[in-house]
Amino acid sequence: MMLKKYFMEHRRLWLGLCSLFFLVTGWELVLTYVVPVNPFFFTKPSLIAAAFKEQVQGAKLWHDLAVSSQAFIWGFSFAVIVGIPVGLVMGWRRRVEYSLDPFLTALYASPLVALAPLFIIVFGVGVLGKAALVFLLAVFPFVFNAFAGVKSTDSLLINVIRSYGGTEKDLYLKVILPSTMPYIIAGARLAIGRGLVGIIVGEFYAASEGIGFAITQAGDTYRLPDMFVGIIILSLIAVVLTELMRKLELMVAPWRATDEVR
Amino acid sequence: MNLTSLVRVTKDWALMASFIQARNITLSFKPKNREPVTALNNFNLDVARGEFVSIVGPSGCGKSTFLNILLGLIEPDNGQMQLNGTRITGPSQERAMVFQEFGLLPWRTVTANVELGLELKGVPAEQRLIRVNELIKLVGLNGFERHYPHELSGGMKQRVGLARALATEPAVLLMDEPFAALDAQTRDLMQAELLQIWERTQKTVLFVTHSIEEAAYLSDRVVVMTARPGHTKDILKIHLPRPRDYEMRLTPEFNEIKLRIWEVLREELTSRG
Repeated sequence: MMLKKYFMEHRRLWLGLCSLFFLVTGWELVLTYVVPVNPFFFTKPSLIAAAFKEQVQGAKLWHDLAVSSQAFIWGFSFAVIVGIPVGLVMGWRRRVEYSLDPFLTALYASPLVALAPLFIIVFGVGVLGKAALVFLLAVFPFVFNAFAGVKSTDSLLINVIRSYGGTEKDLYLKVILPSTMPYIIAGARLAIGRGLVGIIVGEFYAASEGIGFAITQAGDTYRLPDMFVGIIILSLIAVVLTELMRKLELMVAPWRATDEVR
Repeated sequence: MNLTSLVRVTKDWALMASFIQARNITLSFKPKNREPVTALNNFNLDVARGEFVSIVGPSGCGKSTFLNILLGLIEPDNGQMQLNGTRITGPSQERAMVFQEFGLLPWRTVTANVELGLELKGVPAEQRLIRVNELIKLVGLNGFERHYPHELSGGMKQRVGLARALATEPAVLLMDEPFAALDAQTRDLMQAELLQIWERTQKTVLFVTHSIEEAAYLSDRVVVMTARPGHTKDILKIHLPRPRDYEMRLTPEFNEIKLRIWEVLREELTSRG
């Protein structure tokens, strides 16, 4: 009875773990007993696990991660620094909104990775080129979400600040920014995914190091287990960062936690 | 009509040195692609210092608009609004509003919400805290200093709203249907507490409400406004002794006052069809 209650309370976790477990064992069993495929063309979890262990103990993986992170952090930071203020001002000032709208709509809708070759030519194959690509992809979610956040700011709160003689700066700092914060963090969640795409695409095109390069190199040389290690590590990073954003959202906007069913 | 407990005031208030003076206030709203709507038309009002004045009237008669002009958030098309002989041109620390929907900042604790006005005025943090603590005690919110608005009941939220408005020590307190969002019992309680606070702090209060009973219970005078475009229909003086208590609301005199206000108001409600 107690056990049943425990599982009911944590069934989200347990059911998730179960399906993951069945997928992995199913994959392993099918490839071992049903259709034994040449490991040259496909691979199975046990081989990936072995490769994973080997890579984690080696130095190359960590070096690749460091190289990629550096570009990601630079590009992402600039996306935050540029995207949030632009979105806030766009949301608050009609004139700015109308002036910037055509660019943003066009750039947001088009597949920006098409610009990757251009960026590599202009900024080079090093950190700068990749960071620029990350910036380009990650900046739009910040701009659009900050914009949407400002638009949804309660006009009553604006009037409250005004009625106490608050200035334009007070409006931004005491109402618009805090009320937009949850939107910005939701934007950050999208931006993380897009930024990772930027890194990988940049490294696919032209690079001699980095996690994206490691994946292509492993693919080119038919080392499928090594390729999967890179992919799994990328997904882990994406999941951890996205979850962190969710926690952050609850921290900066505790009043929303009770409004929303999670 | 028995007028012993109730004197219709039409001239004598004009002779008082009026603290708040509204002269021929006219304001139209001009919504996009629609006909302009005249909210206020030649609205006049004089309020003495320390007076408690309620404004009642049909929905959309411009009661709230009037408060917003007085607060300095809206500029009238015509007419003049003066406070203590000075023309009102914008917001100032001598007027503060208590809003129907509270208007609390959800990311701020009770303390941080109450100190908002002082913060915007540039009062140093230590002084703010002393003042804020006094006010939190005054409105009976001790123990809730670190709570967020979403953790409070409606009545408690409005206590925060009241404390915030009082914090900057305004001479005039503007209240725009402050208790309309509260349940009936909380409302009775808040009315009684507002009277106590008013008697203690000697503020001039302008109180907009839909409730005749509330207006009669709280006020020195009740202004009845016409349907849109709003102007003063009648001003009734409430000659009930103070301090007033809940029992007073059950007396025949009180009911007579309510009836008198209702009679004036009814014509406006029915004339709208």
